[in-house]
Amino acid sequence: MTGVRIGIDVGGTFTDGVAVRDEAVLAKEKSPTTEDVTAGIVGALDELLATDIDATTIEMVSLATTHTTNAIIERQDLDKVGVLRLARPTGTTIPPLTGWPRDLRAALGGSENVAMLHGGYELDGTPISPLDEEEVRDALRSMADTVDAVTVTGVFSSIRADQEERVAEIIAEELGDDVSVTLSSEIASISLLERENSAILNAAVSSVMRRAIDAVRQALDDRGIDAHLFIVQNDGSVMDADYAEQYPIFTVASGPASSIRGAVFLSGIEDGVVVDVGGTSTDVGYLVEGFPRESTMTVTIGGVKTNIRAPDLTSVALGGGTVIKSGADGFTELGPESVGYDLQRLARAYGGPMTTVHDVAVKMGRLAADLDIFDTPHVRNRERVEDIDDAVAEAAWQAIEARLERTIDEMKTDPDPVPAVVVGGGATVVPESYAGTSKTNHPEHFEVAGAVGATLAEVAAYAENVVDLEVQDRQDGINETVRQATDNAVRNGAVRETVEVIDIEEIPFTYMPGEREKIRVHVKGVYGGIT
Amino acid sequence: MTVYDILDEWGVSESEYDVIDEQAIEEITLGASILATGGGGDPEIGLLWAKGVIEAGNDIVMVAPEVVPDDARVASPGTLGAPTVLTEKPPNENNLRHAFGELEDYLDEPIDASIPVECGGVNSPIAYAAAGELGLPVVDVDGMNRAFPELQMTTWATHGVAATPLVSVDDHGHTCVVDMGDRNQSAETVVRTVAMEYGGISWIASYPMSGAELKETSVLNSQSLAWDLGRAVFEARREHADPVQRVLDVIQDDRDIPCFKVFSGKVVDIDRDFGSETSSGFSTGKVELEGIGDDDGQTAVLEFQNEWLIARVDGEVQCLPPDLLSLLDPDTGEPLRTDTIRYGYRGTLIAMPAHERMRTPTGIETFGPGYFGYDESYVPVEDLQEASTR
Repeated sequence: MTGVRIGIDVGGTFTDGVAVRDEAVLAKEKSPTTEDVTAGIVGALDELLATDIDATTIEMVSLATTHTTNAIIERQDLDKVGVLRLARPTGTTIPPLTGWPRDLRAALGGSENVAMLHGGYELDGTPISPLDEEEVRDALRSMADTVDAVTVTGVFSSIRADQEERVAEIIAEELGDDVSVTLSSEIASISLLERENSAILNAAVSSVMRRAIDAVRQALDDRGIDAHLFIVQNDGSVMDADYAEQYPIFTVASGPASSIRGAVFLSGIEDGVVVDVGGTSTDVGYLVEGFPRESTMTVTIGGVKTNIRAPDLTSVALGGGTVIKSGADGFTELGPESVGYDLQRLARAYGGPMTTVHDVAVKMGRLAADLDIFDTPHVRNRERVEDIDDAVAEAAWQAIEARLERTIDEMKTDPDPVPAVVVGGGATVVPESYAGTSKTNHPEHFEVAGAVGATLAEVAAYAENVVDLEVQDRQDGINETVRQATDNAVRNGAVRETVEVIDIEEIPFTYMPGEREKIRVHVKGVYGGIT
Repeated sequence: MTVYDILDEWGVSESEYDVIDEQAIEEITLGASILATGGGGDPEIGLLWAKGVIEAGNDIVMVAPEVVPDDARVASPGTLGAPTVLTEKPPNENNLRHAFGELEDYLDEPIDASIPVECGGVNSPIAYAAAGELGLPVVDVDGMNRAFPELQMTTWATHGVAATPLVSVDDHGHTCVVDMGDRNQSAETVVRTVAMEYGGISWIASYPMSGAELKETSVLNSQSLAWDLGRAVFEARREHADPVQRVLDVIQDDRDIPCFKVFSGKVVDIDRDFGSETSSGFSTGKVELEGIGDDDGQTAVLEFQNEWLIARVDGEVQCLPPDLLSLLDPDTGEPLRTDTIRYGYRGTLIAMPAHERMRTPTGIETFGPGYFGYDESYVPVEDLQEASTR
């Protein structure tokens, strides 16, 4: 027997692991997330192997991990980054790293290794300035020995990337192959400062990601597992681990994205809302043809504005551990404080002092059956729960329902009811149905949806172009962009024949005469190693 | 010369000016966005620039219009072109210095102060950034006390001050001097064409005028109104108070301007007319809101052309341009913009009269309902609200 796929999803509270073959979940485990995230991953793997999963049957291992996010937020283990911007004479009013939190800027080596150089393109692809190779070499020589990584960001490089690519060659000549290089055109799209920020963060977490992948590979080796290693990216698809070493920033929102993909797989619902309930918060995402809808807003990571592609999520402070507040006149407020970090000591149902969403769910009869995957039963102290005032419980329950209904509604694009899939460890502590939804689905294995999502070896990719409809045929522009996206998917490991278009977006340029528009294509395909 | 030399020359004492720090520029930019009637776009690039200017040790100083001598010479710095290009190609630090220098050469006179053209979008903070870089004071005025998309849509123009002579430059130092006499609408066409030839974005010094003209034709004290609004909203957020009420308090109580809470609702439909963006460069369409709370059961429709222009509730007109509409997030007080609004957003719609200098017959002709293609004749928002059957 072969064909076992392992998915591991690192959350804030729990690290979840599943073993899947075809459509069947063979084993699932939940263990507390450890400070050393890699150790937690290996621990989850070992728990799965301790069931009766044979290491030699494992064909792929896939991780949705928080390594990069944690490193950025905690300013830990970040690489020193040299920053080249190809834009002169434009762009000098706002140098690279403007608006960054000081501690994060310092963790990357400060503003010493920043250079604003000649280069970049206009919207129509004519150069702003030609590349001055001597200027590039001088800048690189001044940062030699102090940087671990270098980023290159050229104006309108999403339209023409050849200057950025040439600079990558020069970096290799000047600084050698040990310095990792991030080209902004490979990271994000139009909007120079956000793209540059995204590229810098990508470069900063290169080593963190590489070390994590090396450690997991070693752990697999030690256990006799000969499997492809994948990393989940922000749209819920996976990338080869080699690719993830180059583009670690694409993993910063992989946890919620993985849950959304898992929800699709478990429920069979491809369009609707996904409600992922945890201990302290709930993420609501929106499904479009089986993938999370992308955010059109700026995505802030560790205090830095970026334009990396990330799922469009609304996070609300509502989870199993959210504290219910009441006064002399009854229920007053839902949270925002949570005891999700230590629910089994602090919540009433376990004999603790705090009234939480978990306790109200028990009181309202919503949380009836225990889940084996949690080590302790949901209710150890029923009297404490029965003590909650009936009116308080009723009012709190209505507040929970209203908050989730409002969040679901804000994620919708029109008033028609859509299906809702409720997943996550806290899925059983929230109401079963919501206004504005056609049906609510709590699929089997909902509590490990993120880990299940990681096992779905779908490879996605993007491409983007600006076309001038006065000189170029629209359909030609779209076809060319689809071709580029397909090439990107194949480069990420997809089988060319399986690549299909998920979405084509056309965005006209405003305040401008003429007919320029941006075309953006999102495709997916099946990974070559898996069929 | 520093800004303080100019203030000395004008005889301005320390109590008569404000130094704009980073917090102040954030407050002014937020307040200006509230007055921007849903338009103006994202001010981020201008805000970062202005903060950078302050961080580099330049003082940005704002003065009241009354202290500007009649024979002083002022002009308005700004950017004109495609916002999408601006987000990819922030300016060279010398652009506005260059534009002002060329304008001074053409006029053969030094320029003594920076005047913001509008409230909202990138041009609001840019007037401050330029002032800081050039060592000029910002005057507490603007040309519309809201946002409008075209060069000629100012009280300056409707009161006889020409937009030109105007200098338009790009990042390479290319320069166009435009002098069209009083043909402001033609100047708009020329300047926009130049911007496209520059690669989509241009940097301009426009509306040179005397201190006397400034005082006779501007919307006075509009910058301090924006500042008060921004400060009130930031305060409300810190204190978990109702930000919309704080906005109403500032306008009604502090400024004694009638301001109306027209509607509270949530967006249930957005109808964007994509064809028009490529033909006219305008983003147009309408947004439908379903009432919540007191307005339950009623429907509001907002029509926009870059900015919110007309509000109707159950078919009854509530506000017409150039009077101001602002749709505010009830929780944060953040203004919702026409380019980023989405289904499901909650908004409280407030309306207030445009400044009296916007409401002259020439003003109504230049930016009233007729200019934007609507059949309705202009009726002041106070009259509409008084006559309202709601």
